[in-house]
Amino acid sequence: MEASRKRKFSNGLLYVILAALAVFFILPVVFVAFTALKSNADLNAHSFYSFPQELMWSNFADAWNRIRKYMGNSLFISIVKVPLGILVNALAAFALTRLRFKWATGMFVFILIGMMVPMQATLVPLNMMLNAFDLNNTYPGIMFIYLGFGIPFGVLVLRGFMLAIPKELDEAALIDGCGELGKFFRIIVPIAMPAIATLFILDFLATWNEFLLAQIFITKDSMQPITAGLLTFQGQHSTNYTLLNAGVLLSILPVMFVYVFFQKYLISGMVGAVKG
Amino acid sequence: MRLKANFAPWLFLFPALFIYLMVIVLPSLYSLALSFFDWNGVSADKKFVGLGNYISLITEDTVFRTALKNNLIWLIGSLTIMIGLGLTFALILNRQLKGRVFFRSIFYYPYVLSGIIVAIVWSWMYHPSKGFVTFFLEKIGLEALANPWLSDPKTALYAIFIAGVWQGVGLPMVLFLAGLQAIPRDPYEAAIIDGARPFQTFRYITLPLLRDTFVIVFATTMVGAMKVYDIIYGMTGGGPMNSTQVLSSWMYYQTFKYNYIGIGSAISWYLIVICLIVIVPYVIFISKRSHH
Repeated sequence: MEASRKRKFSNGLLYVILAALAVFFILPVVFVAFTALKSNADLNAHSFYSFPQELMWSNFADAWNRIRKYMGNSLFISIVKVPLGILVNALAAFALTRLRFKWATGMFVFILIGMMVPMQATLVPLNMMLNAFDLNNTYPGIMFIYLGFGIPFGVLVLRGFMLAIPKELDEAALIDGCGELGKFFRIIVPIAMPAIATLFILDFLATWNEFLLAQIFITKDSMQPITAGLLTFQGQHSTNYTLLNAGVLLSILPVMFVYVFFQKYLISGMVGAVKG
Repeated sequence: MRLKANFAPWLFLFPALFIYLMVIVLPSLYSLALSFFDWNGVSADKKFVGLGNYISLITEDTVFRTALKNNLIWLIGSLTIMIGLGLTFALILNRQLKGRVFFRSIFYYPYVLSGIIVAIVWSWMYHPSKGFVTFFLEKIGLEALANPWLSDPKTALYAIFIAGVWQGVGLPMVLFLAGLQAIPRDPYEAAIIDGARPFQTFRYITLPLLRDTFVIVFATTMVGAMKVYDIIYGMTGGGPMNSTQVLSSWMYYQTFKYNYIGIGSAISWYLIVICLIVIVPYVIFISKRSHH
């Protein structure tokens, strides 16, 4: 009797703490939403917690008109780069796990070390390289760079998963007379689908959220992805807070959508990848 | 037949290896070379200065020292507060509470937002007159404390750090949660039979069994703290008066705003070496484990 009462009390206390913390975490977005729905006059006249005098959905329409090109750019870059990256990484992971290869572990460590190279260290030479091939301010140029930075993590995740696939399946393929490429596409890839799906989501988000490289290698406003574009947007509307907040809310909608529906993959993928 | 078997791995590896070499390996080596020169990137005037850039950064560049200090503050803050909170949340959520997944998703979602979004949202929270922080302080009667947090060199970095915790605590939390859930019940049951109290079970069972998770959490947190950029650049651009510069942002300024390519490259190599010191044990650990 005593023990269960104690447990109920401590659980209740925990819920209170959790609820308070949850408020802290949701608060900023609620604040953004409130601001986005007000008119500027309303914002100046009343305090934060007052409900909007009138729901200014037009703020969203205005903001959308201005950021829609940035969103489109982000979408294009992500949709092309992510599958391409997965293919490149899967081929490499396959080589490292499935083919008799003396240097497999050494090569893996070599690639893994790339994960701790800060992007800043490569910027100037990359800039020179892109200039030399006239690829500055082009999508192929930035995608090539994104692919490069995605390789260590992608190979880490896919290699980890492929290591766990039983070797018997390889032998079955051999009996069927598949070449290595056939083994790759017809056997390993389908089995690795959960890891590929997870990597797809993680990489999509990382590409969507990427800022530094976009800031440096895409200077043409019409081509900028949402991260760099939003900063420009903030600069242009730095005093028009209602519009700015509407823009922010719109720009996180795709991310939150992916998060709500694929959260399970996201989190387990993150955990699995980091654990190697 | 033998020849074919030897080529196959290289063929499969080729795309990834080629891109990796071109984007990461060669550029970082080239920037090492650049760090030994005094150059602005365009003119023919390129002077070899050996370790001069590295030395002048430590001896003459006050902002570099500020940046190092800020990275250190961020590092210590991350290791204590972010990891501490992450562990606490994980411990709370590990109990059989209802709504656990709901709370987990609330604490983790900021992590999927870009640093720029976090920066814009929190800059608005900190707005001196219309921001939520000011409003909140007024509501609880502490308006004397209200401050233009982001424009005050003394408070700016810490204000950004709070936003950083909001964004970042989700990762240590889910990593610890995964680690906790991998711990079997048996040691706990045995301990309870032996009469152990909660704090003792935590100290003698939970913590040791989380050792692997701690390594991973520490490594990712440390590297993240050294490389932090987006959120700081987005909230203050390194200001006011360079008070919130970190190694990454200062490197950006030196290279792309002031065109001191040599200095910028030197800063980035300082960053690489520091990250190496942090991450090499982690890499060794990972590749050893995959041999089991």
